Amino acid sequence: MDSQVLDADSTVKISGHLDLLAEMAASFASTQDLNATLKSAVEMITTYVGAEGGALFMLDQAGQKLRCHASVGETEITGLIIGAEQGIVGRSVQTDTGVIVRDVANDPDFYAGVDEQTGFTTKSIVCAPMSVRGEKIGAIELINKDHGDGLFANDDLTLLATLSASAAMAVINARMAEALVEQERVKREIELAAEIQRSLLPAAGSHADSGVVGLNVPARTVSGDFFDYFMLEDGRIGFSLGDVSGKGMNAALMMAKTISLYRCLGKAIHSPGRLLSLINTEVCETATRGMFVTLVGGIYDPTTGIVRLANAGHEPPLFRTADGVYTSLEAEAPPIGIMMNPGSEEPFPEMDIQLDGGALYVVTDGVTEGYKADKTELGLEGLKDILNEKADSAPLERLVMLAAVLEPGPEGLRDDLTAIIVDDAAAKKTRAQDPKAKAVSHEPMKPVKLMRMRVPSTATSLKLVRSGVLASSQQAGFSDIAAHDIVLALDEALQNVIRHAYDGRDDGSIVIDIERHGPKLVFFVRDYAPPINVDKVRPRDLDDVKPGGLGTHLIREIMDEVEFLPPPADGGNILRLAKVIA
Amino acid sequence: MKHKTREHEGCTVVAFEGDIDLQSSPDARAALLAAVSAADSILVDLSGVTYIDSSGVASLVESFQNARKTGRQFVLVSVSDGALRVLKLARLDKVFTICETLEEGVAAVS
Repeated sequence: MDSQVLDADSTVKISGHLDLLAEMAASFASTQDLNATLKSAVEMITTYVGAEGGALFMLDQAGQKLRCHASVGETEITGLIIGAEQGIVGRSVQTDTGVIVRDVANDPDFYAGVDEQTGFTTKSIVCAPMSVRGEKIGAIELINKDHGDGLFANDDLTLLATLSASAAMAVINARMAEALVEQERVKREIELAAEIQRSLLPAAGSHADSGVVGLNVPARTVSGDFFDYFMLEDGRIGFSLGDVSGKGMNAALMMAKTISLYRCLGKAIHSPGRLLSLINTEVCETATRGMFVTLVGGIYDPTTGIVRLANAGHEPPLFRTADGVYTSLEAEAPPIGIMMNPGSEEPFPEMDIQLDGGALYVVTDGVTEGYKADKTELGLEGLKDILNEKADSAPLERLVMLAAVLEPGPEGLRDDLTAIIVDDAAAKKTRAQDPKAKAVSHEPMKPVKLMRMRVPSTATSLKLVRSGVLASSQQAGFSDIAAHDIVLALDEALQNVIRHAYDGRDDGSIVIDIERHGPKLVFFVRDYAPPINVDKVRPRDLDDVKPGGLGTHLIREIMDEVEFLPPPADGGNILRLAKVIA
Repeated sequence: MKHKTREHEGCTVVAFEGDIDLQSSPDARAALLAAVSAADSILVDLSGVTYIDSSGVASLVESFQNARKTGRQFVLVSVSDGALRVLKLARLDKVFTICETLEEGVAAVS
């Protein structure tokens, strides 16, 4: 290779080039505003090369158009958009080579439209592409050499090409920096969503001595599964576990809404069936795009060992007796959000399970369909094996074991892992030691008749009925407050019969039957009047403080179950009232 | 059910004793309405109430509303536990002005 000895002139020129390049590079590196920097770069280049005007064009995202992002000189064309192949600029971009049109009068590609609009006269053009490793970004075009004959020479093109390449590099770097910042922002947003979700779930092991523990391991940062449990005033524990259809932020938001609804309502409404019904109405009305939630809601009473459960389309909870006998509790209703309940006040079906020292396991399909280390599904049998193995350890340990067995491989968990255990073993021991503990019935469904009262439909009968109801309630084991509440409820029910069924006539007959059905005390109020129009017996609107209608409201507040049974063959009406003994 | 109406430090005090139920609430109602139509400050003493039902509560509500409409003061005092329980179930415990003792009630209406 020939080594050239540079003359003084060339040396000055080259060091001048390097200075400009350094200045431009520094400017790009520190910029927050890419466009402003591009403009100053065009200015620098135009001045340095020596032209009357200069413009920097960049391709749009689709690569179909070229837009002028900066221009300098007499004609301001910033914002001008031309086709990606149009003009000298287009040619330069598409062929990725520098173009010099020494004299435009001789070039058919020259786009005269701008001159026509601006009144400027273009004589000479030099244009160099901006590209990095073949990635086309745009081009820089200079117009009219600013001295001599106004025409550019090859030296000018070489210089411009060097400067353009540098500008291209700077643009690429700036874009990458922007993308990184955006990525970080999205990542932070998702992390925040995950943190919010975590704050909604009970801390691991909180209230562990209550017998209820739960676990949630999301498969990705945000989870569509959830579980929750909370203490009620009377020492019972409400719990919920659910699985939202879909993944990602939408599922996570639906999860947050459902878990909060359940907890908020669940502290006041102690019937899981009613809770699910209310939440279903809410979700059907407000959820978007066919999202649905499978949901299990329940209440566990450590003083009796009974769990009252409602299941909306979820994997059947598994009940394991203290002896290791398993029962799957199938869902008796579709998932939440599928359809409005026909009678939309109708509660979802509930079932009562006497744990009697055993345990209830509620899981999502991330558990039963999760992969073990050997890549096979855990399955129901696998789950039972683990539970049998760990039957004597604390409930929290069983959860930890479950999580360990489903420890994710490099691809991560197959699905969110969520589980709740309601374990009655500890509470059962406490009950056995406590002389005041209520007797547990092992034949929950066999009714025991306690008392029958037959009275005339007069106001004077009420006091007598109240005594009988109070005595029965106290004997059944209700607390003082609850027993007096029940007295009020029955009194109001009888008043309704006297006022509405018999229209105030005192020659009617009312029969009150009191029975014990497992954990509940059940009352049947029978009259022999023409069938009541049920719609007329509505609870009063609480915002409307007027006398009248209050009675029905009190009955519903106090009793767990209130319903008219189908009218009996020999006429009249039967109202059934029930309350779980507490 | 027994009731007694008396004057006390410029207020009319209506005291009830026993069960206020469907049978006796018409009596209670009459006594309350009479007190409201005659006095500016009415204190209702429920310390002796062993039972009250919706009809009893309705009488309280009716006389309370009458009092309000005519700018009179109407306060419940010494409400027995059982009666308070019923008012809570009916969500009326925040509607009425309820004072623990007769003296607090007198202070409240003056």
